[in-house]
Amino acid sequence: MIRRRFLQIAGAPLMGAAAGKTMLVVAADAGWLECAGGTIAKMTGEGAHAILVRVGNDEKESWGLTPEETALRNRKESEAAARLLGIQEVISFGYRSSELRDVPHTTIRDRLIFLIRHHRPAILMFPNPHAEHDRNLDRYYVGAAAEDAWHCARFQNFLPAPSHGGLAPHIVSEAYYYSSPVDPRRREPESSSTFVPQPIRVDIAELFARKLRAAQALRTVNRGTAMRLKQSLEAAGRRLPLLDTVNDRAVDKLVEENLRGLAAMCAAGSPYKLAEEFRYAGIEYGLPTKYLR
Amino acid sequence: MRLCLLLGIVSGILIGQGQNRFPLGEIPPGKILLVAQPHHDDHTTDYGMGGVIARFVEHGYKAYYIRASNDEKDGANGYPRNDIINLKETWNGIRILGMEDVISLNWRNDFMNPIPLNELREQLIFLIRKYRPDVVLGHNPWEHYQKNPDHRNVARALVEAYWLAGYDTVHPEHFKLGMKPHAAGHFYGKGRLDWGLGQISNVALELNDSQVRKKERAIAAHRNVYHNPGARRAMQARLAAMGMHVPELDAANDDDASDLILHWWMNWISRDIGGKAGVAYAEDLYYMDPQYHLPGLKAYIDANARKAPSE
Repeated sequence: MIRRRFLQIAGAPLMGAAAGKTMLVVAADAGWLECAGGTIAKMTGEGAHAILVRVGNDEKESWGLTPEETALRNRKESEAAARLLGIQEVISFGYRSSELRDVPHTTIRDRLIFLIRHHRPAILMFPNPHAEHDRNLDRYYVGAAAEDAWHCARFQNFLPAPSHGGLAPHIVSEAYYYSSPVDPRRREPESSSTFVPQPIRVDIAELFARKLRAAQALRTVNRGTAMRLKQSLEAAGRRLPLLDTVNDRAVDKLVEENLRGLAAMCAAGSPYKLAEEFRYAGIEYGLPTKYLR
Repeated sequence: MRLCLLLGIVSGILIGQGQNRFPLGEIPPGKILLVAQPHHDDHTTDYGMGGVIARFVEHGYKAYYIRASNDEKDGANGYPRNDIINLKETWNGIRILGMEDVISLNWRNDFMNPIPLNELREQLIFLIRKYRPDVVLGHNPWEHYQKNPDHRNVARALVEAYWLAGYDTVHPEHFKLGMKPHAAGHFYGKGRLDWGLGQISNVALELNDSQVRKKERAIAAHRNVYHNPGARRAMQARLAAMGMHVPELDAANDDDASDLILHWWMNWISRDIGGKAGVAYAEDLYYMDPQYHLPGLKAYIDANARKAPSE
């Protein structure tokens, strides 16, 4: 138990400084922001060049809108949120959200390999496909494709056609696996850092306000969440006074409470007050410690 | 000193026992329970949910069973006959548990890896919107080392159908039939505890004698698969090799002994899990409440939600 705590806390200093680095953030849906928005803001603040890849189009996440209108609004709002975090570019693949199981794994993977080779990031962030108990399985499919792309982008025999156009293999040296903190086993290291990305926490207290503003920019998603929460509470004979009138102010407050709650959950047991948690694979991943001395 | 030592040992044992215990849950308020599983007998497999279903029904729920596959592989009668016999025995089993109906989706048994899972999910979304359950019960999609593709895939389709059925942007064609979005409040997933890391159970539901008995009778109703008249002689031979015998087994005929052995097995599991929950009998499950997907809001909701005024 003592060893596990040590690994959780000691993971943070292993991360490399982000200045001058390119980072690619792969997202299944708008949930990327609440999982990793503070850390992204921290890295862009340090000088990282960040690119967001939206694999799903978030067409389901609204209240009372058609899928087409929902997808358009969520694209614009995701771009606005990304700008607030210092992300310079947003690439939207446009696959239909909650239908990603129908998209071949290799299709998503190869598009991500293409982007990895083109942008040549030092840092890759993606949903943790090994995290369990998240009912949104798009995160599993996208995470599995991204993890595979991270691995395969370094081998010359993947994507042979674009290789002839100058896309050379590329090794991404740092990977951050993010997930919603619903998995009871999410902080178990399982093995050493040579073999398994390690649990780490990132202090986001100073970045929280920026993360919050970005999250509040996802107005269509947030309104849908608020309305569905109100509906589910009503079905159980309960009400939140905050949601008696669902307006922008109430939704913004709900988003703040949600982000504060998540950040406090992620910080629990660490020296931090507000944090995000990841599985992190850095230079020590895949290399026995004795070779790093 | 001795007293302190004794108290320390006793409290240590109690703390140790407490750490191993599943928290006991209660039946949530509601009227409709929808159970979706791949096979004819999954409502009441050994590590299953038959006792919990019986408890929901005794609590006043109407319960419906979705059998996603056609069970053609299960039994010794060949494909089409197995399907027919197993469906009939599904009816026998669910009646013992007090359930209302069986809906068979008839996907080919043990061929569910390559099926279009979004199509299965659409069927489950449709049925959730039709029956409007308060509680959805199925397999835990995160169970480790589950080897049966039917279980893996029905579980994955169901856990998505459970929440997507509440979205008006999902399969809006259903609304042409007068249906409306419906988000079921509660999800329970079952899994085995002893395959690899098994599943993480976060709740156990206590069973009484009657519910355990119904569970045992419901599984025995699947005679095509579970009735094994040769089991008595095989067990007697193994016991004799160790110089042992069980008088109850010796006194039974082959048919009764088959049910008796099934009873022992099912009763042991209910007792074993009950022991881990501090009660006589129980089944353990992974439970998601209506706000499970918003863990950051749990504390805020607990602190601020009020009882809604009755209309």
